Parts: sequence; C-alpha cells; structure tokens
Amino acid sequence: MRVVTVSTDAPEDIAAERHLHGLQARMLSDVQLTVTDAFGLRNTGFHAAPPGDAPVALPVPATLLVDRDGKVLWMDLSENYQRRSDPSVVLAAMRAHFDT
Amino acid sequence: MRTGTKFGLAAFALAAGTAALWFYFARQVSLPEDRTGFVVAFLAAATLGVTAYFKGTSWVGAVPPAAAIVISSFLTFTIAMSAQSVDAEQAIAVGDVIPGFAALDDEGEVFDSKALHGHLVLIKFFRAHW
Repeated sequence: MRVVTVSTDAPEDIAAERHLHGLQARMLSDVQLTVTDAFGLRNTGFHAAPPGDAPVALPVPATLLVDRDGKVLWMDLSENYQRRSDPSVVLAAMRAHFDT
Repeated sequence: MRTGTKFGLAAFALAAGTAALWFYFARQVSLPEDRTGFVVAFLAAATLGVTAYFKGTSWVGAVPPAAAIVISSFLTFTIAMSAQSVDAEQAIAVGDVIPGFAALDDEGEVFDSKALHGHLVLIKFFRAHW
C-alpha cells in the first residue's frame, strides 16, 4: 500500500516539519494547488487561505482510498477544518475497502 | 475579595477549563461535530468576565476576566469560521478514477502518480504545517 500526502507547503517546509509526526509517506508539495485543483478539492469556503502571503488557497482536508486501478473506493471530506478524518474512521474504511 | 474578582476568577476557570478540553480533543483529532456545548461554555465565561467588571474589581483582579474574554472570544470565532466547502461539480467522488498528477516531494524529487498504478493508495490532503 502507498500513502501519499498533499499540502501547500514548499518541499523544504515539509522536510523541516515532517519529524514532528514521523509520517512514513510520500509527502508532496502543492504550492500552486495544481494537484488540489485536479481533484477539485480547493476550499471555496471562509478561511480559505492561511494568514500571510503564500499560498493563495488551501485544500479542504480530505482522505481518499484508491484501488489498484486508480478508482476512488472511499473518501472523507472535512466540511469543517476543525474536524479531520478520525484515524479510527479511516482504519475502519481501509478494513472495509482494502481487504476485499 | 471583591465580588467582581470572584466573578473574574470563575470566568477564567470556565474559559481555561473549556479551552483545555478543546485542545485535548483537538490533539486527539476528535472535536465533536456538534460544538454547541463549547460555544455555550465560552459565551458563559465571557459573560461572567464582563459581569466581573460591572461588579467592580481591582487592577490585579481585572486580569483573569480579561483573559477569559479573550480566550472565549477567540475560540468561538474559530468555530464560526471553520466551515469548508468545495465546488461540488469539480470535486472528485467515490467511483471516479483519480486524475494523473506530478508534484515535488519533500526531497525535491518529482513524483508521478503513474507510480501508484497497481497499488492500494491512501491520499491525504491537508492544510499544511502551520
């Protein structure tokens, strides 16, 4: 299984911060929101961008499970940035969708 | 102790306690969907804080209610502005095939989504390290 993360951080910012969580994932930089827009996950709601100059916008927090052919099996969109995909919910979805 | 000081301390205790609970849940990534309880507690703390000034307090006694009002207002404000939305017509959905993409990883290497073919994949979009 592959784990990929996408955020608007610059590569050097990801490299500097990833020790905080020690995530064993391919962590991608999407400063221009190219990947975010390809998935249609740019936040259009309030508080769309962090304070400061860059980036111009942010993705809506989302978790996707994708099968071997690239098809989305399950996804969880946070309609509220204070609510993320609960790890237990993601694990349950992985059991339900990845074990079949 | 002046009456206002007591109100101020009560305001601070309520605001700080609720904020501590808030950050505990936030760390667990388990803030509830319905945060009405938090809003009620924060508004109560802010009201107690304002009441403290009306009742009268000392200079030192004015600090806890001020802190209670600031903490409560700020966290209530973040709840009010936390809603997110995507363009429903553009957003990917269950059953869709993910688009091809390429992006730099944290080592500056180009990652091509073709590398994901044949693998089960978990993709996580998040709001950056800030």
